[in-house]
Amino acid sequence: MTELTAPTISETPALSRKWVILGGRVLLAVALLLAWEIGARSFGAIFFAPPLAVLARIGELAVSGKLVQDILATLRVSALGFVIACFAGVLLPFLLRRSPRVTDAVEPYIMATMGIPKYALAPWLILWFGIGDAPKLVVVVLMVFYIVFITTFAGIRAVDQRLINMARIAGASELVISREIIWKSLLPFFFTGLKVALPRAVSATIVGEFLVASEGIGHYIEHSRQVSDTVGVFAGIVIATTLVLAINAVVNVIERRALRWRPVEREMEL
Amino acid sequence: MTRWRTITDRLLVLVIILAAWQIGSAIVGPYWLSSPWAVTSRFVAQMLSGELIRQSGYTIWESVCGAVAGGVPAVLLPFLLRRHPLMVAILDPFMVGGYGAPKLAFAPLFILWFGIGIESKIALVASVVFFIVYFNTLAGVRALDPKLVQMAQIAGASERHVARHIVFPAAVPYIFAGLRIAVPYAIGGAIIAELISSNRGLGYLVQTGAMNFDTTSVFAAILAATLIVHGANWMVNASERVLLRWRPQTAVMVDAGD
Amino acid sequence: MAQPPLLEIKDLGKRFPARAGREPPPWVIQGLSFAVRPGEFLTIIGPSGAGKSTLLNMIAQIDTVTAGEIVFDGQAVNSHDPRTLRPGVDRRIGYVTQDDNLLPWRTTIDNVLFPIEVQGRLNDQTRAHAEMLVRAVGLAGYERYYPHELSGGMRKRAALIRTLAYDPPMILMDEPFGAVDAQTRMQLQADLLKLWELGRKTIIFVTHDITEAIALGDRALVLSRQPARIAAEHAIPIPRPRNVQDIFALEGFAAIYERIRAAIQ
Repeated sequence: MTELTAPTISETPALSRKWVILGGRVLLAVALLLAWEIGARSFGAIFFAPPLAVLARIGELAVSGKLVQDILATLRVSALGFVIACFAGVLLPFLLRRSPRVTDAVEPYIMATMGIPKYALAPWLILWFGIGDAPKLVVVVLMVFYIVFITTFAGIRAVDQRLINMARIAGASELVISREIIWKSLLPFFFTGLKVALPRAVSATIVGEFLVASEGIGHYIEHSRQVSDTVGVFAGIVIATTLVLAINAVVNVIERRALRWRPVEREMEL
Repeated sequence: MTRWRTITDRLLVLVIILAAWQIGSAIVGPYWLSSPWAVTSRFVAQMLSGELIRQSGYTIWESVCGAVAGGVPAVLLPFLLRRHPLMVAILDPFMVGGYGAPKLAFAPLFILWFGIGIESKIALVASVVFFIVYFNTLAGVRALDPKLVQMAQIAGASERHVARHIVFPAAVPYIFAGLRIAVPYAIGGAIIAELISSNRGLGYLVQTGAMNFDTTSVFAAILAATLIVHGANWMVNASERVLLRWRPQTAVMVDAGD
Repeated sequence: MAQPPLLEIKDLGKRFPARAGREPPPWVIQGLSFAVRPGEFLTIIGPSGAGKSTLLNMIAQIDTVTAGEIVFDGQAVNSHDPRTLRPGVDRRIGYVTQDDNLLPWRTTIDNVLFPIEVQGRLNDQTRAHAEMLVRAVGLAGYERYYPHELSGGMRKRAALIRTLAYDPPMILMDEPFGAVDAQTRMQLQADLLKLWELGRKTIIFVTHDITEAIALGDRALVLSRQPARIAAEHAIPIPRPRNVQDIFALEGFAAIYERIRAAIQ
């Protein structure tokens, strides 16, 4: 669709290669926006809200204060659910570490329940808890818990026993070993889990808001759909996407700080 | 000795879970929490009547179509772009953005575009599957040992031979790592789309069950969905084992279901 | 010689538990006895797989004893039950293992300070002592580097002074200079001797390199193949301070070397 024929000569000097990539990205972005605009004109505004109208709507929402209100509503549920799930998901593997027998006994059930599509519980949870934050919260907690639990559990199993022996010989207590050796070894695993779990926590909240809510980004998107307000649907999706990408960026920064001791991984240039 | 102890321990835990569930159901009433016995018998009855099989079939079909629609281009694209690293670099921020974007939030948009039928579910599942598989395949293509390619070229292999016999087999473990994450996600995505708006599928069963305060039917549908997820996982693992016989035992991957 | 030994190994035996439904594996160590005087540098030579690491693991109390006794400082310290093991015997036995086991998330200086920190003895004096050791082994300037940024030899040095820094009366060393090149190895040996001259700790140094055993030790024990027993014992009357660079040229080296080599076969 986009006729980009970038030169593929490998001898391109590093500097100009960088500019080609940057230029290509700008071109592609413009092409996508143009395609969006053309789509809006050819399919009609009911199917494709024009980009400028979407931007204007986001501006309106920002001015009226509804933008902040909806974002906060979504983040409130995601953050609370996330914290509860992280706490449980990290604590449980540490407790299970104490008893291989209990671990053996409960492991198959944890794995089996992991396959439950958590969202499907939402309608039933709404029956139980009504239309407040609680049903969404439970879905978020369940979503995040399994991810954090599995990564922490795998991380604890991967801890180098030789480091633990070294610390014991040096006179470290069990508490110090948990904090200094196991937790630190675990951090890379934990961040892997975090990076998967945080966006999913927000997604789960938004899906929860599709089903039941009086505020929040998900509610705004679904409500707009029901009243055939296409601009609203697009605006909501743009807001949700921006929010999740921003959260990803923050997690990446925190991860890089916390894991400075690791060998630098080969990152994509530019 | 320990083997038997583990088995009895596990049975004990199972009995405790089922007993707690049954007692809980008796206390709060089946209206709020169906009992394991009621769910199991409803599950069997609906299976025999064909109702559950039909609804599960819809959900499975949506997931499969979506996984194919999203997965096939996601596998092909990195291969096509293998010789064009500049294109990969240009696409990268857009792909990262697409990967990070909350696809489930797009569900209402897909319903708006494609209606409440199967098309909107396929679109949602495809958008979820595409980015996961794309990045895993790309990682596989990138991790390829260039010495193997050189060896093949020296031996006289054409570009097509290299792609078919060197690049693809090397990327298969990565593709499967992606599938293992994507498959439960695909089924979850189909069910979510059904929950939001649909007139068939397991998500629809859950939604109508909840509306009629019939928790037994809600749980029976969730049970079916869970079994489908495990079945799909099993199939991915089994086909991986067959395709990757040449490989030493793979490491445990993180595959959290949805 | 009149001093009581710091460590006594009496008729020590070790075999690992049998896997379900199988014959128990053979004894790794059987009927092993020897004693170490305070301040002695004892080297133990044995073929690979002779159970040298198992022996040190039992002395350091990270592995259980199957038979016999280990007496440290007049006290029986051996245990048959993994739950009652006291690794490091209250910080009195240090252990420099084959792998450096540096914590990847700590810088060089923080790794060296780790034992002192967990023992709650971190103060200006212990810190200054650790910094002195860092300089003594030529790691000055690398204090803030993470382990993955150091060379193999530097990591070995850091692991060595981590144990020296908290000053346990006895130190076990399990081929600590195993995986480095010959040049670095000689430098590390020289560093170790220099540090040992300062404090004269009791050291048990396990190696499969005869030259290393002679260059470092006051006495060398030769272990037999499985089950490990003492095959021979050799005093090394080479005067100290020694220069590891030209240990070969010294009078008596060749004779000891030949005797030990004969004992191994």
